[in-house]
Amino acid sequence: MNPSAAQVAARVLEALERGQRIYTAVVTGARDPALIGRRWWLSGRRHGGSLGSPALDEAVAAAVPALFPPRESRGALSRDFRCQDGDRAATVTVYIELHGPPARMVIVGAGHIAIPLSRMAAMLGMRVEVLDDRADFAAADRFPEAAAVRVIDFRDPFADMNLGPSDHVVLVTRGHSFDYECLVRLLRMSAPPGYIGMIGSRRRVRATHEQLVREGFTTDEMRRVRAPVGLDLGGQTPAEIAVSVVAEIILFHAGGTGVPLVEKERVVERFFGDRGARHAAED
Amino acid sequence: MDEKELLGQLATLREPAVLATIVSARGSTPRKTGARMLVGRDSVIAGTVGGGCGEGEVIAAAEELFAGGPPRTVRVDLTDDFTTWSPAVCGGIMDVFIERANPERFDDS
Repeated sequence: MNPSAAQVAARVLEALERGQRIYTAVVTGARDPALIGRRWWLSGRRHGGSLGSPALDEAVAAAVPALFPPRESRGALSRDFRCQDGDRAATVTVYIELHGPPARMVIVGAGHIAIPLSRMAAMLGMRVEVLDDRADFAAADRFPEAAAVRVIDFRDPFADMNLGPSDHVVLVTRGHSFDYECLVRLLRMSAPPGYIGMIGSRRRVRATHEQLVREGFTTDEMRRVRAPVGLDLGGQTPAEIAVSVVAEIILFHAGGTGVPLVEKERVVERFFGDRGARHAAED
Repeated sequence: MDEKELLGQLATLREPAVLATIVSARGSTPRKTGARMLVGRDSVIAGTVGGGCGEGEVIAAAEELFAGGPPRTVRVDLTDDFTTWSPAVCGGIMDVFIERANPERFDDS
């Protein structure tokens, strides 16, 4: 019995509830009409349904890790697969989705920048966790959008958090000695967070890096840290700085250029005016 | 409506419904690959595949599935809309897969 879209949706919700990734696939194009709508899902070692042949299920299972980068928690795409249809090869179009637990944003330092940053990260669909060693700052009512607000000790700030490559950590602590304590922990992890950002002036960032050099970290390790964090938007207020940080995180995942679209597309220059007319003719 | 909510609705549907999913999108489409819409016998239940831009075509195609039509991919070409200067400015092509979301709830199955 082919599982229905409704049944597979229930599987997806179960997987998300358990904090697990799940891939779902459905045949959307095939010469054999009986294959269209065939469905299959895979979550860890568990799977169900079939795309019509075990060989195709296995081909999709083998392809998914490369189709969806490990840091992504959501994805959707269509791919053609070659498979045997009787005695001849046929192309089958398969639509595949990835659902995973939401990306996590850990904000270290619960000061004035953390407030808009927590909100904006939540708007992006991230699970937000805020840490500080001051209980009056790391207070749940200051961060209504955060999934967790913790009072920590900077000597071991990430205890029991199981940070990994899919996580984002932004350091906005009140002093570079705290940033330094956090960075040492993060950079020594066997699988550090994929995105590590640290706020600060050039002077403060340099002071932190000098301390890392004294501790024996290499420049390659130091380059893993986005410091100063954010895109150069010229903003000054906490909200503006938070926009620049989340903008960099979007850029990190979506792979844009970060330049204004008007400069990238140059519609006026390309299609209008004397110089543009020439380019338009070339297009 | 967020995606998880729509999945929840899809998982617990009691009435027969057709699921429309954007399975590929090129150019400037209002919704991207992965966007979903649930269509009931008389009206859209939840979600959207692009509002004014091509959604009517998808809803019309969904009606065929209530009548017993097979699941299929509908190609929606929005590149013509651009020249009409309609308020819904779109200029892409999308493939929308439509199927019975819960075939077990249909009388004829």
